[in-house]
Amino acid sequence: MAIFGIAIGVAAVIGLGLLAEGLPSSTQSALTAGAADFSVIAKTSGTEGPNGQGGPVGSFGGQELINQTKIGEIQQISGVGSAVGVLRTMTNLDNTTSTTTNSSSPGEANFQSMTTLIGIDSNSISMNDIVITNGSVYSNGANEIIIGKSAAERSNKTIGDTISISNQTFKVVGIYETGNFQDDGGIVMSLDKLQNLTNNTGEVSLILVKASNGADSDELATAIQEQYPDELTTSSSLSGMDRMNQGLDVINTAVWAISLVAILVGGIIVVITMLKAVSERTREIGVLRAIGWTRQRIIKMIIGESILLSLIAIVVGLIVGIGIVEILGSTGMIPGLMPSFSVSLFVKGIGVALLLGIIGGIYPAYRASKLEPTEALRYE
Amino acid sequence: MSDGNIEVRNGNMIEIKENIIEIKDLTKSFDGGNITALDGINLEIKEGEFVSIMGPSGSGKSTLLNMIGALDKADSGQIKVAGIDLMQSEDFSKFRLNKIGFVFQLHNLIPNLTVHENVQIPLIETDVTDEEMIERAAELLNSVNLGNRLDQLPTKLSGGERQRVAIARALVNHPSIILADEPTGALDSRMGDIILNLLREIHQKENVTLVLVTHEDYVANSADRVINMMDGKIVDSNIA
Repeated sequence: MAIFGIAIGVAAVIGLGLLAEGLPSSTQSALTAGAADFSVIAKTSGTEGPNGQGGPVGSFGGQELINQTKIGEIQQISGVGSAVGVLRTMTNLDNTTSTTTNSSSPGEANFQSMTTLIGIDSNSISMNDIVITNGSVYSNGANEIIIGKSAAERSNKTIGDTISISNQTFKVVGIYETGNFQDDGGIVMSLDKLQNLTNNTGEVSLILVKASNGADSDELATAIQEQYPDELTTSSSLSGMDRMNQGLDVINTAVWAISLVAILVGGIIVVITMLKAVSERTREIGVLRAIGWTRQRIIKMIIGESILLSLIAIVVGLIVGIGIVEILGSTGMIPGLMPSFSVSLFVKGIGVALLLGIIGGIYPAYRASKLEPTEALRYE
Repeated sequence: MSDGNIEVRNGNMIEIKENIIEIKDLTKSFDGGNITALDGINLEIKEGEFVSIMGPSGSGKSTLLNMIGALDKADSGQIKVAGIDLMQSEDFSKFRLNKIGFVFQLHNLIPNLTVHENVQIPLIETDVTDEEMIERAAELLNSVNLGNRLDQLPTKLSGGERQRVAIARALVNHPSIILADEPTGALDSRMGDIILNLLREIHQKENVTLVLVTHEDYVANSADRVINMMDGKIVDSNIA
């Protein structure tokens, strides 16, 4: 019973620890998987960035465009893993005509008044955090588009439907998500198609850059800025790095709080379990005192047992804690959350459990040592 | 005329033994003084004597036994056992370990330890080596006819067998005094006789002082002296 109680505490510490420690890496992984480390934009930007709003198709809200040849040049810079050009613009689709083939309400296209249009090579959509959730990606050069999840819901569009943009008909071939509400309300097509639509052939709004393995993205961004001091600047805001860092700070605080709660719960369980064990053995302690055991010897015995119980409970708790997390993971009950098996966590968990064993044993041991033999012997 | 511990009286050589227990005006009350357990007890018990203490429930006999064994402390008076003043404020663990062997009504064995281990428990606090602990406990268990039950748990034994284990445990430290609180109280009369005979045999063989609390006449009358208690007082003390 005592082992069971302490094992639950240990399992809570280890299990929650595994999940909690995995939170930052899982979140970081989710936020940065395939995504660019930073974006390169024209230095003489206006008050609005590449996501700026306003204007018809082809309007970039004052954003100066970059010559597409820069992509190849940046690609050659040491430390650059990949560089991808993106053209972004806003358009009012309310006035565009659309036809539908599959939707239940043909002819209705209820887009936001201003919709983001993104042009990017179909092989590089992950650089823009785009994940296809349904259907497939468009073919470069074809009149195919993928549509953001919220845009699809609002406009009641689905795969196979068509949308008319600037008198050209595009077929919806996929639904995507980015986690960015603005982009999820937009439309993505091949870069050359959007360049064609907006008469911006050979130009892009920004270049997404991902550092190669081992390269420092901050250093790389500085290097690019130094290479194009009057033309280009970099921004990490597009890939959400700043927000991610803030988010990770919050998550780290939450991890600490969860671990603290788990440790407190574990500690309370140890103390209650040991107090119960001592209470159940009151008469036995009375006998030991009666036959000559000293108070110190009783304290040593209870704390020793508490540590022994903790050691056994550590093994049981590790198995239970890891087992539960593994089961939760394998059954898909914690999608996207990767348990983090680190040596430091196990050292921390085992250390905390042993510490709990010692601390948890001190008070019950003190109580046991204070028992008067006659009182203990009368205990039923 | 006296020569050491031998005195000649009426031409007979009589061995004079020292008092091993000396109690004077001992009082003890519980519940903030509302319950008087011992009310001015005066008692002397000689070394090697077998004394039984009789009396109804609540007469104070077990309280007196606890005082002699330093399990509890008196409110006032004097009590000296085996040369130790038990009115001093100190932990009497060592005194109990070295001088006293307890036998309880409900044997009070540790249920998850074997019979052999139970007998060794008092020796853990001493300098006795592991080998000697094992040997001494086995010898004692042999002497109470439980040599073939060393590895059994107490739960597998009968009430009489458990009490014999408890007696072996009480003797393992070669105590000066054995204090037995209703040792036959939880046993049937046949098993009670076996335990009583075992205690008498040990008393004679080991020359140990035996103080036994009972409320059964036949048990009390097997002692050298019977002390009757009532309402916390000794009402008479007779040679059996």
